[in-house]
Amino acid sequence: MGLLDKVSSWLGNRPRVTAPVLVLGLDRAGKTSLLHALRPPDPTAQGAQQGAPQGVAPQMEHFQSGGVAFSAWDVSGAARARALWERHYRRAHALIFVVDAADHLRLVVAREELELVLAHPDMSARRVPLLVLANKSDVPGALPPDQLAGALGLARVVDRPWHVAAASARSGAGLADGIAWLARQVRDMHTPPKIQH
Amino acid sequence: MSSMTRWLDVEVGTDDVELNTLPGNLSLVDLHNDNEYRLLLGDLGRGEEGPRLRIFQGVRQVSDMILPDLPLAVVSLYTNESQPMSLPIIAVAFSSCIYIYRNMKLFYKYYLPSVELSTNETEIWKQLIDPVNQNPVTVSTYTESLRSIPEKILSLQSRNLLSMTVDQQLEYLEHVSSLPVMDLPDITCVTSMKMNSVDRYGAGCLIVGTEEGDVIVLESQTFAPLSQAKLCVVRKTPYQMVATGLFNVDYRLTVATREKSVCLLKREWSEGRVLFSTPEHIIAIEVMPADNSVLVICADNTLACYSKKGKKQWSLNLEHRPVSMTLVPVSHLGLTLAAVALASGHVHLYDGKARRDTIFVRDVASVMKFGQLGQEEHVFIIVTARRRTSTLTAWVVESSAPTFGHKPWLIPKKSKLFLEQSVRERENAVGMHVLFQQELTRLRLMAAKTLCEAHLKSDNSVGAGALEPVRLAAEVEGLGPVFRVTLSVENTCADKAVVGLAVLFHAHTANYKVSQPYIKVPLLAPNSKLRFPTKVEEVFDAELNPDIFFRSVTGQGGERALVKVLLLKEGRRGPVLAATIQMPPTDPMMLPYDKIQATADFGS
Repeated sequence: MGLLDKVSSWLGNRPRVTAPVLVLGLDRAGKTSLLHALRPPDPTAQGAQQGAPQGVAPQMEHFQSGGVAFSAWDVSGAARARALWERHYRRAHALIFVVDAADHLRLVVAREELELVLAHPDMSARRVPLLVLANKSDVPGALPPDQLAGALGLARVVDRPWHVAAASARSGAGLADGIAWLARQVRDMHTPPKIQH
Repeated sequence: MSSMTRWLDVEVGTDDVELNTLPGNLSLVDLHNDNEYRLLLGDLGRGEEGPRLRIFQGVRQVSDMILPDLPLAVVSLYTNESQPMSLPIIAVAFSSCIYIYRNMKLFYKYYLPSVELSTNETEIWKQLIDPVNQNPVTVSTYTESLRSIPEKILSLQSRNLLSMTVDQQLEYLEHVSSLPVMDLPDITCVTSMKMNSVDRYGAGCLIVGTEEGDVIVLESQTFAPLSQAKLCVVRKTPYQMVATGLFNVDYRLTVATREKSVCLLKREWSEGRVLFSTPEHIIAIEVMPADNSVLVICADNTLACYSKKGKKQWSLNLEHRPVSMTLVPVSHLGLTLAAVALASGHVHLYDGKARRDTIFVRDVASVMKFGQLGQEEHVFIIVTARRRTSTLTAWVVESSAPTFGHKPWLIPKKSKLFLEQSVRERENAVGMHVLFQQELTRLRLMAAKTLCEAHLKSDNSVGAGALEPVRLAAEVEGLGPVFRVTLSVENTCADKAVVGLAVLFHAHTANYKVSQPYIKVPLLAPNSKLRFPTKVEEVFDAELNPDIFFRSVTGQGGERALVKVLLLKEGRRGPVLAATIQMPPTDPMMLPYDKIQATADFGS
């Protein structure tokens, strides 16, 4: 956590920027679980944890980090629902791409889908920061972040900031760091006009 | 062509996964019923490494298991359809027995039934092993009688003896002291088939083909033979079997044999028949699920398609020697491709005769399999032969690939009915056109007549022109003979009022008496409604027909029971709109007493 984040957290928990963020990834990569892990603990919603909804309709989640309030669109990653992703590109200010780091076989599919996302006109024209969450990094056989970045061909992504964070939805490890990076990027991008005055 | 499909290449394992396997030894199984398909691979082993059953999850080998013998086939099937779902069992075939693994633990060993020797042969052998008879003359007479026995029922020992020279025979007989025992028949191929339903978890049965040309269907719970059949009249050795259909409903078993022919075995046949013969040795067959046509790759570098009746439909010459073949069903495009691997290292994908795609795999693809692996539904697994060591390559087809290229539309075949109709249309085009025009004119005339009639009789129930927003509705209450007809006149227009309206009842005076046949409607404000209750009495003749008692009360009173209500507007000649009320018949119990008396007179 940078100094600015700390200052912002001292100044009170009020976020200055709100950012719609699009959460993409193949089916069973762990998108919904990750978002559940990110959500502020809610004592009333105990039972909502088990059994992630497999519906096609995107789910909305809210969380905040480093002075940015994220409203995350959790979009289905099933093969037949992937064509619907592009409907959300236009309004996304940040992109979280969730990858199952232990599923070596489908890394190529994830890479292909990520390339399609980044090449879409609605995406390629804007500098949307990309956070790749290497989920299930605690599973034996999972790829470390640097190898994952190589496997996903991220070295070729030069037109936008990107970051790979090893994470685990089950333990919650690594999530906060990744989201803090994203919050910093979003804040830099949206330097609020109020401060400039 | 290459832009049509996109295959994503995954080389399996950083260290070489050394494999030595056969096409039948690959199976994609949902081992733990968690929708995570694993690849089961029977490895023949090499050198000091024995045969093993290896399990791959995704691209990683998760476990392996030592097998007692060289595996011939690995097949998985469900045993029952009870809930909760039991795990699938794995059947691994060895030379003459099948090991059944449940939960990856050995659960049952099935041995093929042994065959009895003919008594004739045993008699001869009893004489032969007797040292007294072991001289060239008697031995040759006995071998002559052995030769008279058909070779296919001879034991291996007899066959060996017959292939020797006389000196060798004598030497051999000195060492032999026991009667020949018929060794267990060898399994050549195994496949599985569903019993009752095509459901993914439907219970299945095992089909075993033996060296002797027998095909045995085994029940999956007790491993009792459900049926046994000979492949053909003459002895044929099955080599690859493809089962389509359901055991309890109807099935076809298409069997490639080593004798350059493909045999067919259907439900309740005790003996199969030869479907067709090929000019050269068969390398692999596949059966298209849609129409049961059979695809064959042969050693003469051809890919041929035969109909389910065994008629040759087409044949293609391949550039190189074909090595293996598998079906690639692409469900989201609704077609089944046939993948043919060539010795040049190419894998061609054919849709019928047309080549749709080519993959270059650098090596000879000796074993191929397409199906779901892990989470990915379309995985093409290719085992390549590279200098005696094999590597496993999985090709993942981009399942959401939106464009499959400019492939021709899938147009269904023209049916006979369609063809006949089109021929008729071509022959009698003028007559059909004239007839159609006549009917069209007649329809138009009828529509015009009806409209004209409605206009003349002022039968329109909806107003026209400026008075369109005025609505008229009527409801009838009562049992009779006096009814109350409530008319409601409504102005649905939002901003205009109506003046000078009147309602006129139009009924036959012999049937109904209306107390107030003409009602003047006052000003009708916008969006308002006025109700006018009116008494209408059914009139009976002095001489009443007794049929009146038998009219149904709920039914309608017939032609005479129609009362017309006309809405009139000052200064207009015709009515604005008209409504017809069907009056219900009077309840016979409500008839006036004197009328009932009158009907009594009528009868007398």
